[in-house]
Amino acid sequence: MVTVRSAQFPKASAKAIQDPHLQRLLGRIMRQLRDARAMAVDDISEQEWELLRQRARDIKAEAINHLDYYLDLLDRSVRRNGGYVHFVRTAAEANETVLTIAKRQGVKHVVKAKSMVTEEIGLTAFLEREGIETVETDLGEFIVQLAQEPSSHIVVPALHKSRQDVSELFQRKLQTQPTTDVDELCGITREKLRERFVEAEMGITGANFLVAETGTVVLVTNEGNGRMTTSLPRVHVVVAGLEKVVPALEDVGVFLKLLARSATGQRMTSYTTFASGPRGPSDEDGTEEFHLVIVDNGRTKLLRDEELREALYCIRCGACSNVCPVYGKVGGHAYGWVYSGPIGAVLAPVLTSQKQAKHLPYASTLCGACRDVCPVKIDLPKLLLRLRQHAAEGGPQGRRINTWMERLLVRRWSGAVRTRQAMERSLGLARLLQKPLLRSVPVPLRGSWTKDRDFPVVASESFHHLWKARLGRTES
Amino acid sequence: MQAGVQESAAKESFLQMVREALGRNTPLLHVPDHPALKTTLPRHQEKVVTIQAKVETRRSTLAARLVETATAAGWYVYRVASENEAALKVGEIARGLGARRAVRTNEDIFRRVDVDLALRNARVASIVLAAGRQRRRGELRALALQADLGISGVEYAVAETGTCVVVPRRGIARMTTLTPSALIVLVEEAKVLENLDDLLAIWRLENLRTRGRMPNYMTLVSGPSRTADIEFTLTTGVHGPGRVYLVLIA
Repeated sequence: MVTVRSAQFPKASAKAIQDPHLQRLLGRIMRQLRDARAMAVDDISEQEWELLRQRARDIKAEAINHLDYYLDLLDRSVRRNGGYVHFVRTAAEANETVLTIAKRQGVKHVVKAKSMVTEEIGLTAFLEREGIETVETDLGEFIVQLAQEPSSHIVVPALHKSRQDVSELFQRKLQTQPTTDVDELCGITREKLRERFVEAEMGITGANFLVAETGTVVLVTNEGNGRMTTSLPRVHVVVAGLEKVVPALEDVGVFLKLLARSATGQRMTSYTTFASGPRGPSDEDGTEEFHLVIVDNGRTKLLRDEELREALYCIRCGACSNVCPVYGKVGGHAYGWVYSGPIGAVLAPVLTSQKQAKHLPYASTLCGACRDVCPVKIDLPKLLLRLRQHAAEGGPQGRRINTWMERLLVRRWSGAVRTRQAMERSLGLARLLQKPLLRSVPVPLRGSWTKDRDFPVVASESFHHLWKARLGRTES
Repeated sequence: MQAGVQESAAKESFLQMVREALGRNTPLLHVPDHPALKTTLPRHQEKVVTIQAKVETRRSTLAARLVETATAAGWYVYRVASENEAALKVGEIARGLGARRAVRTNEDIFRRVDVDLALRNARVASIVLAAGRQRRRGELRALALQADLGISGVEYAVAETGTCVVVPRRGIARMTTLTPSALIVLVEEAKVLENLDDLLAIWRLENLRTRGRMPNYMTLVSGPSRTADIEFTLTTGVHGPGRVYLVLIA
């Protein structure tokens, strides 16, 4: 299992904000990603864009609301194609399933394409512990694997590394000559990883989409490592969250148009691979064995809550992180888990634990920029508010965590502002008491709350009073 | 046998867990009301016929659009008037690249476009990665890995996105378009579709008609292999071909 460090969010974010190296990279790359997306979206009319988003959302809603039906259909299609399907509930079960396949096939070397769910279940580290050499082949993932760090962005994992960092890392770990030329760094990667692809007996990928009707795994990569991983090794194992299923092939087109534009600002990702099972008896190329591992790992908890359910529509494009004012300052590592940014703040409290991720739903200004860019129109601010409500009042995810003092204050506040008369009375009282109180009495709101904020002071004369006095008018 | 029983039990309990999370206790009684699933084979066939008619009448517009979008997607695009010219163009590109060893698939298009002769004239060794009667799979694989140029036909091209659709059918066609550092694809104008939706509709018909026994691998290639994982700086050729050429044959 992956260590979850979300409870450290306050400390980790404070540290990130004071890290000039990270701030420089984040500032620049976030802006580039936002600009690229904006240009690619402008490429089609706003009306058509909105239509695509709505269609994508409708397809996801259809798939998720009838998930049992589509998973069953998917299972039958994959088996008809000659593949195997494994339904697993937990991360540990998923890892064991992959290990069993590897052992039965005598696998010693594994190549991996980028996949969020395998990071979520900690598959790479697990296989390595079991003595199976496992190499990440996406350049960004390869870099963070060499550095033994978690990735810091859903689409650009090594966003926190500069070219100098990568150069030093390669010199240390791969004994290469110093170079900060990005082309040369990529050339080194090509050469080093080519050897790995050739020797690997098993390739592990995630899935961008699983087509129920045809049993097809759709895999989108820019580098071509997805194609290498699904073509060179003998065995192909797909690990995917249960939410990846879509009904039919024709549904995939909508998502392809949205995904590349939202993620990297491209019209189309370089490679989109449709793999439907192992090679046929007359094929000479391709994998001999095909396995699909469908993982729950807490996703049915999202499914159970009708409001949170739409978090399962996410296609992992990272656009919400790129526009988020909080992510843009603290970066991905502060979130303490594989999914960062607004969608990470929604997933972590449900998929890990509310206690562990209690700060994350508050790591948002609720400005709504994430909702505006989301290609499947997930109402992220609403979901974050829902999780804040769970945190405060206790929800299916956990128990109440607010204190008796907070509850008392909220009740008093509600009494004080409910009517005009009550409000005027309270303001009068506040005006009278605020000076001696704030100066001398240690009210619970002072301390950590006022460390970064000014406590609002009641004006010595209300606007209403001024209006009356100067213009001699009354309204009430 | 035992494993099979266990698997189906695991599947059933998993699906039941999903159902309960959705607030149901029993499987759906009907196919969900999703338009793509409701269609019948004849209706879908009609749809594809309409697409093909549209593509037919708009052929020159689509070809022009493909040139535009493919160029924007990073292809070097050449329009040629005949199959003969296409072969010459392949030779010229190979010579320009300084290629030493080319691999190609054995698709039908190579009966019309004699690239082997053109490559010989350009002093590039050309190897057909064809069915393994003469050579074993491992040997073909090694040849593909040594090659610096791959040449392939396409199943379709997509004008909207600058995409070539590659379906490996015979030989080790997957590697031809993937492992060499440069790639040339030959596209006949008749193969240019308007958009992704057309392609997926046609591909779905293939699936319906063959009852799921369609080719098990298809790749949409939309430009060179690229990455921007280091400081969001665009670089090509990190795993697949870094230089890609599209020869469009009228």
